[in-house]
Amino acid sequence: MEVAAGDILESDGIRRGQRSVASQRADELTDEECMTRLGGPEVEAALSALYDRYARTVYGVGLKILGNRSLAEDLVQEVFLKVWRSADTFDSSRGSFSTWLYRVARSCALDLYRKRASRVRQAADGAPHIAAARDSSAGPQEVVDESWLSWRVSRALEALDAPHREVIELAYFGGLSQREVSERTGVPLGTVKTRTAGAFRRLRKELAVDDTLREAIR
Amino acid sequence: MRCAEVHPNLAAFVLDGLEPEEAAEIRRHLASCPRCQDEARELRKVNRALEAAPPPADPPSYLKEGILSRVRAERLSVSDKEEPQGSSFEDRTGSSRTSRFNRLKDLRVVLPSAAAAIVAFVALGVFLGFLREEPPVATIQLVPTPREAAGLEGYWGVAEIRPQLSGNQQVELKLNNFEEPKPNSYYELWFVSGAKRISAGSFTSVGEGETRVLLNVAPEARNYRTVLITEEHVDERPTSGEEVALKGKAP
Repeated sequence: MEVAAGDILESDGIRRGQRSVASQRADELTDEECMTRLGGPEVEAALSALYDRYARTVYGVGLKILGNRSLAEDLVQEVFLKVWRSADTFDSSRGSFSTWLYRVARSCALDLYRKRASRVRQAADGAPHIAAARDSSAGPQEVVDESWLSWRVSRALEALDAPHREVIELAYFGGLSQREVSERTGVPLGTVKTRTAGAFRRLRKELAVDDTLREAIR
Repeated sequence: MRCAEVHPNLAAFVLDGLEPEEAAEIRRHLASCPRCQDEARELRKVNRALEAAPPPADPPSYLKEGILSRVRAERLSVSDKEEPQGSSFEDRTGSSRTSRFNRLKDLRVVLPSAAAAIVAFVALGVFLGFLREEPPVATIQLVPTPREAAGLEGYWGVAEIRPQLSGNQQVELKLNNFEEPKPNSYYELWFVSGAKRISAGSFTSVGEGETRVLLNVAPEARNYRTVLITEEHVDERPTSGEEVALKGKAP
């Protein structure tokens, strides 16, 4: 289901034989370089590369703050279409792509959140229990506050290589002990512990402990 | 236990992932070692930050294809309006990039007499377009109805539409984990518009993994924007209103 430069149209002047090369190049580009290509013939390869790097974060944060898979999927779609349509508003001198993308995602998430709230309000006319459920949910500002930290932590996790991320996901999110992680993955126990320690070192660095963790423990 | 033995285990310790005996040894060491206490404190902050992490989850694979096909369709729309060459499948409209069309509007004002030439050019473009392998003019995501029916590892599909030289629309279905129909049943693909419907034919599925199906539907289906896959029984007349397994809408 991969769609990359292979889908660039003939009308863009790209010959079929050149497509895989363009796709490879997009994988190697920085986020900012990908953004500059969204207005040209390599748009699909560039957008595809950005999607591969950030879709898990957008989807995960969407799941966390919007609360269901359908809305999180809508969020991913809205965000990446907006990245393409609004690419010319990105200015790399004013901040990183990740921060800009977070703002795009936050804006889209708030729109979806309000739409959801509106639907619940309409439905609640005849269903008091739904109105009660609505009252207990976080407001838009709380959603925003929570989403920034979620975004940062998700990006820090995504920065880990796959073996290190795997041990953290199994240990933290899966609740497995180090021995159970070892049994599950077939990786020696000592290696699991080393990877866990390495992953924590990297997360600590990525999260810029002094700044971000203060928010986490606030 | 020495600091050098404790340090590699501290992350696992704050994750509560050590065996009880190991954890007890670490605790004893921490009680008397300020340096390791500091380290453990820092690692606990990381552990607490993880509370804010979203659950690890991959978005469904059809999302990426859907986004890229939307981009493709909108770019085609722009391309068609600036240099008309292709067919006029309905989903090519709807781009929000209206400012890009300003030049086109000017062109229409200045060169109204070129309409006949453009029509001929469009016809030639359509003809030449059909002679080569083209990307689909529309890619429609097909999702279970209700969506929850498919479960976490659910089934889903994509319908790719390609106009044919004959005027028919070729529909390539790519179905994932779409279970086989029940005994004496089959699947039917429909294009629906309000109460009207056109069948694109019947097929079966292999269940787990990917099933690819190639069907054709009459040209009129281009204006029928809802796509349904229903399960039909061999002894009954096919309908598009019952037993809907997958549903999609042209973007």
